[in-house]
Amino acid sequence: MISGTNFIQLLFSGLAMGAIYALTAKGLFIAHLATTRMNFGQGEFLMIAAYLSMALILAGVPVVASTIVVIAILGLLGWALERFALRPLDRFKSLAGGQYSWVLTTMGVALIIQNVATLVWGKSSQYSPPLFSESRSNVVKVFGVGVFVEELVVIVTALVIVAFFYWILFRTRQGRAIHAVAFNPEAATLLGVDVRRTVTLVFVLAAVLAGISGILVGPIVTVQPHMGLVFTVKAFAVASLGGFTNPLGVLAGALIFGITESFSNYFNSKFGDLFPLLIVLVLLVLKPSGLFGEAKADVR
Amino acid sequence: MFAESEHRIWPRNLGYLAAALAILLLPLLVANDFYVHIAQTLFYTTIAVIGLNVLLGLSGQMSLGQAGFYAIGAYGSALLSSQLGLPLALSMAAGAGLACSAGLLVGLVALRTRGLYLAMATLAFGFIVEIAAQRWTDLTGGTMGVFGIPTLDFGSRSMGKAYFLWVAGALYLGAQIVSDYVFASRYRRNLLALKENESSAQTAGINVPVWRTVVFAASALAAGVAGTLFTHQSAYINSDAFTLNLTLTLLIATVIGGLGYSYGPIIGTLITLLIAELIASLYDVSFMIYGVILLAVLLLFPQGAIGLLQKIARLLHIGASQRSPGRREPSSIACIPARGGRVVRGDGPALLIDDLTKSYIGVTALKNVSVRIERGTVHALIGPNGAGKSTLINVVSGLYAADAGRIVLDGKDITALPSHARARLGLARTFQNLQLVPSLSALENVMIGIRQRRGAAADFTAWMTSAHFDQIERSRALLLLDQFGISHVSDARPEDLPYGHRKLVELARAIAEEPAVMLLDEPIAGLNDEEARQIADVIRRIRDEGTTILLVEHNMEFVMSLSDRVTVLDYGESIAEGTPAEVRSDSRVITAYLGVGLDAQRSELTAAT
Repeated sequence: MISGTNFIQLLFSGLAMGAIYALTAKGLFIAHLATTRMNFGQGEFLMIAAYLSMALILAGVPVVASTIVVIAILGLLGWALERFALRPLDRFKSLAGGQYSWVLTTMGVALIIQNVATLVWGKSSQYSPPLFSESRSNVVKVFGVGVFVEELVVIVTALVIVAFFYWILFRTRQGRAIHAVAFNPEAATLLGVDVRRTVTLVFVLAAVLAGISGILVGPIVTVQPHMGLVFTVKAFAVASLGGFTNPLGVLAGALIFGITESFSNYFNSKFGDLFPLLIVLVLLVLKPSGLFGEAKADVR
Repeated sequence: MFAESEHRIWPRNLGYLAAALAILLLPLLVANDFYVHIAQTLFYTTIAVIGLNVLLGLSGQMSLGQAGFYAIGAYGSALLSSQLGLPLALSMAAGAGLACSAGLLVGLVALRTRGLYLAMATLAFGFIVEIAAQRWTDLTGGTMGVFGIPTLDFGSRSMGKAYFLWVAGALYLGAQIVSDYVFASRYRRNLLALKENESSAQTAGINVPVWRTVVFAASALAAGVAGTLFTHQSAYINSDAFTLNLTLTLLIATVIGGLGYSYGPIIGTLITLLIAELIASLYDVSFMIYGVILLAVLLLFPQGAIGLLQKIARLLHIGASQRSPGRREPSSIACIPARGGRVVRGDGPALLIDDLTKSYIGVTALKNVSVRIERGTVHALIGPNGAGKSTLINVVSGLYAADAGRIVLDGKDITALPSHARARLGLARTFQNLQLVPSLSALENVMIGIRQRRGAAADFTAWMTSAHFDQIERSRALLLLDQFGISHVSDARPEDLPYGHRKLVELARAIAEEPAVMLLDEPIAGLNDEEARQIADVIRRIRDEGTTILLVEHNMEFVMSLSDRVTVLDYGESIAEGTPAEVRSDSRVITAYLGVGLDAQRSELTAAT
């Protein structure tokens, strides 16, 4: 059985990972909303951000400065991804097989990033220094139970950022432009929305979200070049659990997923991380539009 | 009349014989084991790529989990043969069967979801299998692997490699022939239809979910077969072989060869294997090279090697003579009836719409609508914009579900049936905004409507033995196009046709279904007078041949001159029904169309009609 202390610790580490998944999945969600495409290398973007942040902090750069630099680099990567791996595909719209080319081009970019990380930092796992406290094992008391400071801060930061993106999406002109493009790119053009800029923007935002996730996750897991796929798969799971149409659903899906995974790992260390994925697959069969997605028939 | 058939199937069948001979002789003539090994790998890997090519290129489903099926086939056969001592034939069949079953299960996701979700679900599936192979060490040995797997050599040390090559080569050749058949037959048309235009595929009688699942399971089977061969090529496998990189390699082979071409897989796999050998020494940057290849192929040569070869051939004017798909002059096929229409001779109405209600969120599009459509009549449905006419057509054809009420086709309640089943019972339709399959020619679009009565096995045999195995369907489609005067553009893709021609093609496809009841949604919108007259003639003719027609149209002149009865909808309710003359003078109808008290416009309406 599980003790109360363990329970709360597991809950918090689940929430922390869930918050990371939420951020990563949020990037997929925004890109998918506006373009019905997304970056299948989202996890690799997260991975490279984790490495960059680690390298900069180890080189003595202050955390604030390194965070800004990493976010800027990731934004640039997102721009380049859209400009060179996605936009050129629009030329081939009428070709029979081109429907899912974007899946493969974004995976191609992911392979390249993974290879670069291996060449620079090697294959073995590394520990990233903590962002907010002196050591990785700093704890604070919550309900009388020691909880890692890093995890707590990750949860709070992630929630703030999710709220911020929610505000962008629903309360700003830019957010309305994204929705307009999502609804109908041609009509959006007629209404004066710069569609191309908006599409670029969502991929920059998606990459920045992967970047923030990478910076935050570095100190609570080990960093290695192959970690990307795990995060891509889980972010997909979370985004589809939440239903790709519902931004709050993504957050709820992510937190549920993170907590489930945390407990499942505790009870079965060997395959614990697979069970939540299997559950999501089954849920997808039973409820194709996700737990929080609206059931929308695709009939024209 | 089929004199040249021998000329057309023999190059192909001779090609198969030559390939079989090459496979037979290769291990006898090539002394170098390394090349034999490459050829073995080429053959079994191509089998998996063929499955992926049909899945992605024809049915438009993206799988990122093929390595998972490959692994299930590999471990299944490895464990059954080495631990339980099953003979290889049995263990391999079981391994491939396991992979196929897993494909059916994952295909359930394909059944319920589409596109992106499937890509994600398969990615997750591949990931789960990869992790299970790594960590379920009791079963798979993880990265240590499974040892002592019997190799497929029929007990011969000296000839073992040749035997393996023959088995792999024979299985490849079989897969290639099946793939060629799929690409030449109705299966290609049906799969492209469900990939590119699901609604029209459904309403033409194609059971979309079943086809999606079948193709998915078949691609899993192909990957599983490849996996079992891989397992018995050497005596050892470990989990490193079944990562996402394997899936990516198979996908690279598919696109590099040319997605959606039957010979793409063999060429693509060959190129991919050659690249793998060339960069073997550059192990450190191999991912980068694969990434660059993926980007380069998809961004610069999206049609792959075959597309490139075709382009070069076109530039050199080779193969220009190839383009004659068994065209016949309509006169030579006059023996084929214009339409062997399924004329129903029962009592009662051909189509009964009984108390039908359909609401969208906040809007009731149809409110207790009842329409009785008599056999062999043209029944028009008119009403102002937003009256619910298209909704009614969509509910009757099964694209939307009714909230309440019944739809009875020829005495049979079809309210609960999916649209493909309604189509098979004799309900055909056209769409207001055209729904043709973009990558099929006009002729092939019409052929989608033709129900082929031969079973798959008979059709396959016919294809093997005659170049004109689908001559009946082809001729009938051509005849239909000819009746509309557009048989000269039968090879053109829809996007290259003028709008009027596209409408005619769609109407021809609906007629090709030989329906008992045909639903026409604005058949002459956007057409010129001549084309409209042509359509009116066609509608009269098929009515006279016994087909019942439900017509939605805004052009009053057209409606009034053509219809036997007219039903008027307004705000989702049926407000009048009768002969054209009765409806024309109905005060409620005039009010609905023109508002109250506009006598001047009323007389205008009467004058126009």
